[in-house]
Amino acid sequence: MNLFEKLLKIDRKIIFIVMAVLVLFPLLKPLGLGVSSGPRAKAAFDAVDAIPPGKTLLISVDFDPASMPELYPMLVALMRHAFARNVKVLLCGLWITGAGLADKAITEIPPEYGKTYGEDVVYLGWKAGVDAVILGMGENIKNVFPVDYYGHPLDSLKMMQEVTRLKDIPFMVAISAGTPGFSDWLLYAQSRYGMRVGAGVTAVSAADAYPYLQSGQLTGLLAGMKGAAEYEVLLQRKNYSKAYMPAVAAMDSQSLAHIVIMVLVIIGNLAFFATRRKRR
Amino acid sequence: MQISTNIWTWVAVILTFGIFSFLWKDNPFYKFCEHLFVGVSVGYTIALTWYNSVYPDLITPLFRQGQLLYIIPFALGLCYFCRFIPKVSWFIRIPMGFVLGWASGVAIPAYFQTNIIKQIQGTILTPSIFARWDVFLWALISFIGVICSVLYFFFSREHKGALKLASETGIVFLMIGFGASFGYTVMARMSLLIGRFQFLLRDWLGVIR
Repeated sequence: MNLFEKLLKIDRKIIFIVMAVLVLFPLLKPLGLGVSSGPRAKAAFDAVDAIPPGKTLLISVDFDPASMPELYPMLVALMRHAFARNVKVLLCGLWITGAGLADKAITEIPPEYGKTYGEDVVYLGWKAGVDAVILGMGENIKNVFPVDYYGHPLDSLKMMQEVTRLKDIPFMVAISAGTPGFSDWLLYAQSRYGMRVGAGVTAVSAADAYPYLQSGQLTGLLAGMKGAAEYEVLLQRKNYSKAYMPAVAAMDSQSLAHIVIMVLVIIGNLAFFATRRKRR
Repeated sequence: MQISTNIWTWVAVILTFGIFSFLWKDNPFYKFCEHLFVGVSVGYTIALTWYNSVYPDLITPLFRQGQLLYIIPFALGLCYFCRFIPKVSWFIRIPMGFVLGWASGVAIPAYFQTNIIKQIQGTILTPSIFARWDVFLWALISFIGVICSVLYFFFSREHKGALKLASETGIVFLMIGFGASFGYTVMARMSLLIGRFQFLLRDWLGVIR
């Protein structure tokens, strides 16, 4: 048995162990490979940066704990950006299993900037019926969400006196792990009410989002953990946040893992073709 | 190093290791974690649906505020449960017909506008693309890619001559698309692994920030 044949029969557990070590090592000892921000994240950042102070950024939390490592850092970074500029944040969600994640962000982020619930940030919660929810919000948010996630009537929340429908919101970001998600916001909020929509998506669904970016329907795109890291870098560059950046911290591990996978794909192909010739 | 004393962190850690144990081989511990996840997800979804949607949007207006118009959605909702009674199972067609009719009416125009009209507009070469050479280049590549990829799925004529050349060019674009999707998928899976390791190192062991 030559080297290539041995490589083709390598136990997958060895590959798992190598991968685990290479992912763990940079988390413990950061390599400082660096993260550069691309035009897609910059477009989303600029759109949030252009919201006048006092106005509202809508964030739709359309993901569940399974995609938390990729998407939660985006939610946190967007909220920090908004609060640093005194922009109000309205949260809602089309994924029922995302309700707890939005609640976690509401508990953790506003106090960092001295922001108060009801005045600077409101979480509407989740409602069944994706299209009906978005269309209803376009007409009157209170009709769809008479009370917020915590049971407060919307009329009793100061922030909601100024935000009554989607037209009152200059920009929104749909952080989505699939369907329902940014595509539904494009379908109903943008095509019907002309809303500017940005998206934060899992890397798996990034390729599906690019056509909407190219056509100008999406204003900015954060793709996967790398997208979140790019946004965190932009936040830090503008001194909006000095907090720990989980996505940036993960990029060294991500880079090493990608190198290993590329090497394994090349070796696997070489071994396959080499042994195929021999088999013939 | 500051190991967590939070009981729920420990529960999460044990369940994480339970799921990871599948990498070695299928085992009862993994199966327990998997079934627990499914059960918890369903329970959470039912509870949240009741408290966030059914109770405030149907039960309260109908039974507490006496808004009788809500009897229509209530009856339509009940029709779904007729599925379990063979004699009246056909009742389910009423809410299904309502949902299909309403959803199609709402979705088709919006879908056409968002996914066809706007996408075609985004593909068409307009004078504005000549402003910068890189914009022109990418617009041209997109245009060629769309035409060739669509031609690959044109089955009314045998693919030979110019059509063969175009459809084979289409395959190249499709393969690049699949490659990009695969690359992104790898990145996504690695991100999830990194996320779990960050949880173990930060929230459980306290060895990183």
